[in-house]
Amino acid sequence: MSVRYHCSHLADPAPPLPPSYASSSSSFNPLGELYFCEECDAVRCDLCCVSEIASYFCPNCTFDVPSANVRGDKNRCARSCFSCPDCTTPLQVQATGTTEDAGPSAPSGPPFILICPCCRWSSREVALEFEKSAGLALQLQKLLSAKDPAQPEFDALKDHLDTYITSPAPAPTPARSASKHPTRHISHLTQMAAKALHRDVPGMAAAGAVAKSGLRREMKGGGERYGWDELGEYGTKESWRARGLERGDEDVEAMRRLGGIRMGVEPEGSSWYNDGKRRLTNRYPERIPLQTKLTKRCPHPACRHLLIQPDTKSTRFKIKMVAANYLPVVEIGRRRRRIDGGGHGLMSTGSMEEAEVRRKERRRLRGRGEEVDEDMGAPIRPGEVYTFQIAFTNPLYDPIQVRLTQPTAPLPALLPANHLIHIPTRDFIVNPLKDAWSYDDEEEYADMEGTEMGTSEDGSSVLPSSRGTLGPAAGKRSRLSVLATSSGGTLRDKERRKRESEVDKKGNCTKVGVEVEILPGATGEVVFDLEVRFTYRVDDTDGSKPKGAEKETQKGKEEYKHFTFWARVDLGCISP
Amino acid sequence: MGAFDAPIPYDKAVYIETDTGNKVSRKALIQGASNIVLGGKSIIQTGAILRGDLRRNAPGQHPVITMGRYCTVGENAVLRPPGKMYKGQFTYYPQRIADFVTIGKDAVVEAAQIGSGVDIGEGAVIGQFVIIKDLAVIRPGTVLADATVVSSMSVWEGNPGRLVDTLPETYQETVEASCRSLYQRFRPNA
Repeated sequence: MSVRYHCSHLADPAPPLPPSYASSSSSFNPLGELYFCEECDAVRCDLCCVSEIASYFCPNCTFDVPSANVRGDKNRCARSCFSCPDCTTPLQVQATGTTEDAGPSAPSGPPFILICPCCRWSSREVALEFEKSAGLALQLQKLLSAKDPAQPEFDALKDHLDTYITSPAPAPTPARSASKHPTRHISHLTQMAAKALHRDVPGMAAAGAVAKSGLRREMKGGGERYGWDELGEYGTKESWRARGLERGDEDVEAMRRLGGIRMGVEPEGSSWYNDGKRRLTNRYPERIPLQTKLTKRCPHPACRHLLIQPDTKSTRFKIKMVAANYLPVVEIGRRRRRIDGGGHGLMSTGSMEEAEVRRKERRRLRGRGEEVDEDMGAPIRPGEVYTFQIAFTNPLYDPIQVRLTQPTAPLPALLPANHLIHIPTRDFIVNPLKDAWSYDDEEEYADMEGTEMGTSEDGSSVLPSSRGTLGPAAGKRSRLSVLATSSGGTLRDKERRKRESEVDKKGNCTKVGVEVEILPGATGEVVFDLEVRFTYRVDDTDGSKPKGAEKETQKGKEEYKHFTFWARVDLGCISP
Repeated sequence: MGAFDAPIPYDKAVYIETDTGNKVSRKALIQGASNIVLGGKSIIQTGAILRGDLRRNAPGQHPVITMGRYCTVGENAVLRPPGKMYKGQFTYYPQRIADFVTIGKDAVVEAAQIGSGVDIGEGAVIGQFVIIKDLAVIRPGTVLADATVVSSMSVWEGNPGRLVDTLPETYQETVEASCRSLYQRFRPNA
């Protein structure tokens, strides 16, 4: 049971692919995770937003790390935050020695150790003890760099190459343009091109080898080394040969024996990273990785407006353009199952004509047919007709006129439909968001509903005679009747429709019914898309308009805008 | 949001409503009530245990458990202040809970500080001196080790609890609306 909203990912807004296309699922997100760009007037999602890092912080000590230090610290907290090598819980510093001023019962002096409050792993297991309780990362770095050969080796190699990169280029050798070998003096583009030409083609290894050997011979013969950068020979600090890791044939034999090992799925709960046994010999605490706060921008190349800008000091946001503030919240609930005798005999195929016949039959039987409320979690049965309520909650301070339809998908569905949807009320109004105490004058809105019903075909509003057009409410009414113009129909017709579809208004929320007819023998999930097109009032930019002239200019000044979005409703699986 | 949320009726005889709108079950075990401060519009459900009696050793009045507004303590949840040895003596430290905090049923909370908009799931165990910053979710069944720090906008799960996800930017509005709605719907049955 979920309702997700469509994001067109920079493309022009268009109906999404039908739910049977798995590829369409990446375009749907819950409303709370979507953004809205006012400039582009479009929904944006996390996938299409451009994210930039606003700040780095350690999740353990919540210290904001300046971005200049982050690279040097290797994206980890450089203070005293460590995670347990066994269970990744943040470690605690514990004093083990006694100091003279405190009693012997409470150790409070050096040496300090790191201890895991969860699994009781202690840094004593790897013979780690600290002199001071502060700045442990630095102390540990010194200890670990002595044991780990890879890091100093890498640093030495980096230093060695750094001298090449940063040193000024030697003076170009004169008149030796015939040199085949690229140097730094040739532009990078040329170098890249040359590299691409010399790249080995897969399956042409032999040719490549020949070419290379030919080149080498030429080099030996010529002995010309003009234009070359002078780069000193790099000597490794340590070598695996020197460590006695070379065993020759023994290794080959060992690898042959490996063939007998079954390669299968690892037992549950032991990913290669978190497997404690693998790392028995190398169980040093790790510094805690930093977390980031992200700034998000509109991905449109012509827009690039900020959608999210966090405040580095607090949990607030300086800029927060989220879709929940612009689009109505769509929710589905109140499931009822129709119990009526008629109509079941006809249910053989899913053709539209037959569905229409059944629908008319149901409408005729409506007075007599019974509906039972069902739990939303109860299984959906094939061959049944369910009525759901769809709730629209308006986040805007102005009423919106909603038109609810089923979208015309750009491609035919992959699977035959297992259900049919009928929306009895396609047009309705959702009242504006107001302060909680303002909803007490609900009657006013009940009246407006009357206005909505009393709109005649030509658009001129037929106001209920019982209430006069007094005070400021009149302005609101006329505005609403403008909004309600599209709904059309005579008063009686409207009343019938209201009764049938059970439009339920409360505060800024309007609920309308939707009929879902599950076809006999249907299986799988009941998923359908809805196209929601809503009309809202746009405040005119000219704010300083004279009060007296308001009434005349209202119709001319007020502008109405439309916005269309698509929502995917998932009702759950049909159980046979 | 929450257009279809049903009212949550309770037995009028079981709950006491205070002047500030707190709804406290008579069947909740509240010890050291004078050391417990409730901000108003909070719900303490049946079977919850609040240990206000575990107070600091120093003389004078010290609030032990402070709770903000729109908080909910679920059925059979346990709230007790953290304690440790300090200068050779065992002492308890106050527990501060901000607004819009939901503590699920059967949860055991010994945190030192819980920020606003925190949702602690059913059966979660929050160790001593844990600090939970504003807007965080502790999923049901999570066990947070002692002195863990939960940063803002994060989701924690597992035993031991690990950071598994982050929350969307709209979470603050969502959680405040749902806490308010829960309080509105928690009404005596007619």
